[in-house]
Amino acid sequence: MKHPTEEHDLIRWIDGEMNETERTTFEERLKQDPALATEARQMRALSSSLRTHLPAEMRVPHEDFFNTQIQVRIAQMAQDDARAKQASSSWGDILQWMRQPWFALAGTAALAVLGFFMLSPATGDASESMILSSYTPNTNVQARTYHDNGAEATVLMLDGLDAVPAERKVSGINIQRSEVEPELASTTMYDHKGTAVLMISRDALGNPMLTPRG
Amino acid sequence: MPASASTDPGEVSDLDLVKRSQAGDTRAFDVLVTRYRGRIYAMTYHLIQNETEAWDLAQEAFIKAWRALPSFKHDAGFYTWLYRIAHNVSYDWLRKKKIQGDGEFDDERTEHRVAAGAEATPRGDLAPDAALRNAELGQRIQEAIAKLSPEHRQVIVLREVEGLAYEEIAALIPCSLGTVMSRLFYARKKLQEQLHDVYETSN
Repeated sequence: MKHPTEEHDLIRWIDGEMNETERTTFEERLKQDPALATEARQMRALSSSLRTHLPAEMRVPHEDFFNTQIQVRIAQMAQDDARAKQASSSWGDILQWMRQPWFALAGTAALAVLGFFMLSPATGDASESMILSSYTPNTNVQARTYHDNGAEATVLMLDGLDAVPAERKVSGINIQRSEVEPELASTTMYDHKGTAVLMISRDALGNPMLTPRG
Repeated sequence: MPASASTDPGEVSDLDLVKRSQAGDTRAFDVLVTRYRGRIYAMTYHLIQNETEAWDLAQEAFIKAWRALPSFKHDAGFYTWLYRIAHNVSYDWLRKKKIQGDGEFDDERTEHRVAAGAEATPRGDLAPDAALRNAELGQRIQEAIAKLSPEHRQVIVLREVEGLAYEEIAALIPCSLGTVMSRLFYARKKLQEQLHDVYETSN
């Protein structure tokens, strides 16, 4: 093992970090020490190879998706901020239900339930859809969504999910609109055909209750 | 520190894009992402040595940058600032992986037993680049770097890829100048040891 000073001199010589006097002195020393000269030469060759084979810029895989995901996450952060300011709304109450442990639909399965609400039901333009809330019974799973304009589809990303067998059926509910009935403390959700598909209400004990419709 | 990408005449400057981003213009920020994603991804990839993780960490760096934009003071270049964020994100990930102890990083245990001039030192006048095709040597180098500890991988990337001066590396890590030089020395020795057969083949 070399003395630290020798290691540092060698490194500084390889990296061109010596001043003229230091460099001249060190190169005189190399002439007197063939083993050190060989080591210095080889380490410099390695350094050169590293610079050749480690590009400072690389093409990002799926670069458009890379940008899109960043934009989606920025939008989600803004949405979260806005939502935090509206926590007292009735919708907020309902969405709180969906975060309760009882809402686990498939028990051990890490299925995600998403509520899709169209901002403009009349147009039917998917690009105007907005995800108001997502819930995953398995807390190790994070659900993220974004709209892919090219595919004209809303994409659901589940991070932390165990491998899902290809034959397993995964389904969701596409909600186009909803109606809140304050007197009954219930919300009925309708699909794109106008059919009521789900009602959220409370039972006699005040616990949230989901009732499939249609 | 790493310099910003040179902008073509007529191209919107980083400063303008940053100011618009700070005002909430996500399209302006998207231009910055496009401009620097290749360099940030290269840095995270060299540090992490895993395409998927590097992709996620590069993205995380841009998200953190967006969140921190209100505090960006323009006293440093945007890329330099972004690079620090990406470096910290990647290095934190490496340290966590090391703490989890998956046994991947093994050179810390052997750092001080690699004797200068021992087998790790290639013999004779070797020309590894001529002995193997570039792609093959590149692959070997990537594999060798993947076996370095986070600390050694870090200084190799900062010095050989980004071309940072010792003082800049010391400020970024942060550590002393002597530590930077020692880590560089042992990191290169370790790489020589890993690539020993490459040199032998070409001899």
